[in-house]
Amino acid sequence: MSLNMATPVPVLRLPKGPDPNSRGFDPNSPRFIALCRTSIPTSAAAESDPQQLQEEQHARSVLRERFLRCLLAMSNKKVRFHMHEKVNVEATFGASDIDVLNFQVSDLHTPIGVQKEALIRSQDVISFTFDV
Amino acid sequence: MQCSWLHSGPQLWLQCVHRQVKVTAGKLREEHRGWLLTVDPVSHSVALVSFGEDGASVRVVLGHAVEHVEVLQEPDPDTEERLRSLLPPPETGGPDPDERRRRRSGVRRWLQQNRVPVEEDGNELRVARVLTIRAPYRPDDCSSANQIILDRVQRLLRVQPDPVPDSDPVLEISQAPEIAPGLDGPIPPGH
Repeated sequence: MSLNMATPVPVLRLPKGPDPNSRGFDPNSPRFIALCRTSIPTSAAAESDPQQLQEEQHARSVLRERFLRCLLAMSNKKVRFHMHEKVNVEATFGASDIDVLNFQVSDLHTPIGVQKEALIRSQDVISFTFDV
Repeated sequence: MQCSWLHSGPQLWLQCVHRQVKVTAGKLREEHRGWLLTVDPVSHSVALVSFGEDGASVRVVLGHAVEHVEVLQEPDPDTEERLRSLLPPPETGGPDPDERRRRRSGVRRWLQQNRVPVEEDGNELRVARVLTIRAPYRPDDCSSANQIILDRVQRLLRVQPDPVPDSDPVLEISQAPEIAPGLDGPIPPGH
């Protein structure tokens, strides 16, 4: 008598999804407060004086634009990340998110091998360098 | 000159741009020297550039790791020039008025050929009243709040063929490629 067993199907256990009760972009959520450093607020002097406010805003936009051009110059180039505990890794820079919290990189050379795609947290990085 | 970096405002940071600074970073207090490119107001990251024999290398120190910043010296004119060429500021001026007018009509005609509603508004082109194209009317000069229209118009501008120098509609037709009568394509054998 042959046993007619159905082929067992592997059960895929997916990781637990996000908490359905909290919204990721809620500015009062613990995650946002813990992880998202807000950009520096307007200084007290600027708040009261519209002229000062305008100058401060102009300075902020010039600095931010220069920083964004810097990031643009980095895309698809080899970048070396200097992290805590004197760990240095090299990767090809992809992109950064708006708050500079995460960097998307390809071909990350780690001590245990090369990761094709990776996300590096900015809190883990002290500085990074690239050649222009 | 020392500054309590993280607490000073963007105006002070802007003044320190292009000066040589020394940044102390991380728990191990590593020191990095370089010419200040910019400070990101969102993450407080400091971008420094140093020039070597092979060219320039840029180091960005993340804001959370910056312990102390000290301004060392002003740049000499050569270094200032090199720094200026690294991050070019957006072009404010433009080509001369005639050239601008030619380019503007060229771009306008290209968009109209592609059935895009566009009108001239002074020195700018306005598309469907939601997108503005400033001089010199390249894809990067488009600005709009509507992402889809922006993307479409930028793509169109990128594939715009080189403009025919100052032609009116009659001349444009005569400059179309000559199609010899009777030649519709390769003649199949046996005919």
